[in-house]
Amino acid sequence: MYWRAISEDQPGPKWAGLFREYWPDYQRWWLKEGDSMRASYMESVRMLKRHMPEMLPLYDQLCELAGGGDQASRFLSFYCPPPYLSGCSQALWPGKAPVLVRNYDYNPNAFDSLILHTNWQGRQVMGTSDGLWGLVDGMNDAGLAISLTFGGRRIVGEGFGVPLILRYVLQTCTTAAEAEEVLKRVPTHMSYNVTVVDRTRKYFTAMMAPDRPTIITHAAVATNHQENVEWISHARFTATVERERYLLQRLTLHRDTEDKFIAAFLKPPLYSTAFDHGFGTLYTAVYRPRKKQMEIRWPGTTWPLSMDAFEEGTRQVQIPGAA
Amino acid sequence: MATTVLKNISEIRRFFHRNEDPVYFISATNFNLLGIDEWVKNFKYICYIDCYDGKHPNVFCPSEQPHAEFQSIEDINNYLLQHKEVIDFIKRRGGKPKFVFLMFDEETERLSKEFGADVWFPKAKLRQSMDNKIETVRIGNKAGVPSVPNVLAEVKSYEDLRATCEQGGIGHDLVLQSAFGDSGHTTFFIKSEADFRRHEHEIIGEGEIKIMKRIDCRGSAIEACATSQGTIVGPLMTELVGFKELTPYRGGWCGNEILSTAFPPKVRNQARDLTFKFGEQLRKEGYRGYFELDFLIDKKTGDLWLGELNPRITGASSMTNHAAFAHADAPLFLFHLLEFSKKKFNLDVDELNNRWADPEMIDGWSQMVIKHTDDSVDICTSAPETGIYKMLEDGRVVFDRFDYHRRAVESENEAFFLRILGPGDYRYEGADIGILVTRGRSMTKAFQLNDRARKWIHGIKQSVSGRPLPVAEASPAFADPAFKIM
Repeated sequence: MYWRAISEDQPGPKWAGLFREYWPDYQRWWLKEGDSMRASYMESVRMLKRHMPEMLPLYDQLCELAGGGDQASRFLSFYCPPPYLSGCSQALWPGKAPVLVRNYDYNPNAFDSLILHTNWQGRQVMGTSDGLWGLVDGMNDAGLAISLTFGGRRIVGEGFGVPLILRYVLQTCTTAAEAEEVLKRVPTHMSYNVTVVDRTRKYFTAMMAPDRPTIITHAAVATNHQENVEWISHARFTATVERERYLLQRLTLHRDTEDKFIAAFLKPPLYSTAFDHGFGTLYTAVYRPRKKQMEIRWPGTTWPLSMDAFEEGTRQVQIPGAA
Repeated sequence: MATTVLKNISEIRRFFHRNEDPVYFISATNFNLLGIDEWVKNFKYICYIDCYDGKHPNVFCPSEQPHAEFQSIEDINNYLLQHKEVIDFIKRRGGKPKFVFLMFDEETERLSKEFGADVWFPKAKLRQSMDNKIETVRIGNKAGVPSVPNVLAEVKSYEDLRATCEQGGIGHDLVLQSAFGDSGHTTFFIKSEADFRRHEHEIIGEGEIKIMKRIDCRGSAIEACATSQGTIVGPLMTELVGFKELTPYRGGWCGNEILSTAFPPKVRNQARDLTFKFGEQLRKEGYRGYFELDFLIDKKTGDLWLGELNPRITGASSMTNHAAFAHADAPLFLFHLLEFSKKKFNLDVDELNNRWADPEMIDGWSQMVIKHTDDSVDICTSAPETGIYKMLEDGRVVFDRFDYHRRAVESENEAFFLRILGPGDYRYEGADIGILVTRGRSMTKAFQLNDRARKWIHGIKQSVSGRPLPVAEASPAFADPAFKIM
């Protein structure tokens, strides 16, 4: 896997270059059920305006950089995209300082391998990019960290792709309490568990779904189911119950140091090598909100990144079984 | 025949020996009701785990179908009730089936109804409400069975908890219990903010929590059965709690002992008396049948406090139902079946209770639930099978013969082991390896594991082996940032 860390303060040539590079693949994916299955530009903008009005100027800028095309703009709105699933585990270290750790389990061929650091709209945000301006995990300069796991439910409804919702939280919130209000309000198109922690270690997990109100829980662990397993085959496939049980045991039975806690994510049963089934662990991310630092880890290697001194770079990572 | 009234124990025993109704215990294993099939004709176990490799004549295990990892015992039962082989088995045997469970929920009730089966327990909804620890305190108070000084309150943060405890005058060395759940999983020992942080996800937002002053106490367990003729009370058992050789859960139950002199006569009698009162109160609340109470016995004063209520059979039921009195009269669970059979019976419950209180009626046994206690995960490749094991002179534990009767254990140098973990299963911290039943005690007078128990645990654990799960090794390489392959 070829990974890049890219920093660009304002939407500009770097972002435009990334768009050009990723767009053909995204376009193919976005069109896989046909153009008519996706929301119109007008509806997409209307929904953005209704649910994330603060994002509109940024959205317009990005559409412009993307060439201003209809499909690209509709794609960038993240409104009712094609369904997509992933694995993932995330948990909050029970020590004194807030530390959010997560594994991202996904198909390596459909992943950006991109860490993006931006200063859009005057707010620094860094995290693991998805869909060019969405995030699957990230943190902002207020020390608010956020991460998602797929919620293990098949239902698809009207709402936004969750990576944009994460971006929206980081662009507009500074505390867990503020993030809670946003996540209760913004509609998602599929079910996701979103864990948020702020620099004071206030945290929550929002169980978001298109067909029912967001459930705000005090869960410090999230894997790929919500309150109960609903999609049995997905649960078996991803071992979501086993991973949750394992993480809960780590929390309650052990007094792990931060490093030991993180190391647990790089070993089975959390760390998965089931790439031949499409869902291996692509990386482990660690967020330290007070230090405004993050790390991407793989077995045997760590890539540290800092909000204030972000260094661009690349890594070629060989994960046996992954492309 | 149907209108006759059973007049004594002998007739009750005969009634079950001639029983024609198919009765099923549906559960992960048959451990809790081990041996009941020998008292009740047409009694079968339907289990998820075959602890006996097909060698137990009354245990039926359907072949494994794909399923999600179970989140509860209820999940297992609901899976079993929807399994074609189980449905065929029950249909083939005919009659109007009666089901008993360790745990069940409203979904289980719905599935049982589809079978046309009767669930021989009070309704799940009622059980659920009684299982709520906060409700238990209330029932206890009504029955005159006191609980440890406690406060029932919602907890918002550690500071909030401290304030609540100061107000309640119970100090800051605390035991917290959420409304539901087994001991060990929902019992939190909290003395500091660090303790609180480890459990806050289980405390905050969980509604009312039982906050108890931590007292220096011994755990004990007692089982009883609330019948139309009064509450029948079993013996007071010791509890093995939190031994690190057996369980990773601090404060978690890991076994019991039954012996006549485990507690002073005064404590035993008081426990029996309080259990009787509690049972009578349960009847008023609409509950009937088998239940278990935990009493916490203050080490210094000998005071008895109500710990928790389990409105069901439990992990200790096999102890109660195999004690000498059970063989002399009838196992306690038989009275549960009797109560739900709608058969009329007359029984002098006082006389029975007095007889069971006689120390002569108790022989010494202990059981240990052995879990994987190491912080490791692997896949089990071999595990000791169910049967009778011998301890050799040098302390080694060896398999002697297959048996599924725990009474087949002849001496303190033998033990009955019931296998739970089998080859191919994940072995993780907290996974059940099996249950070991021995004659005599496994604890010292000071309630610590004795040497013999330690040797047995070691002997069993040593014969479990596993292979590691696959791990990836990623090697990073700096690369030319010229292109990306998607």
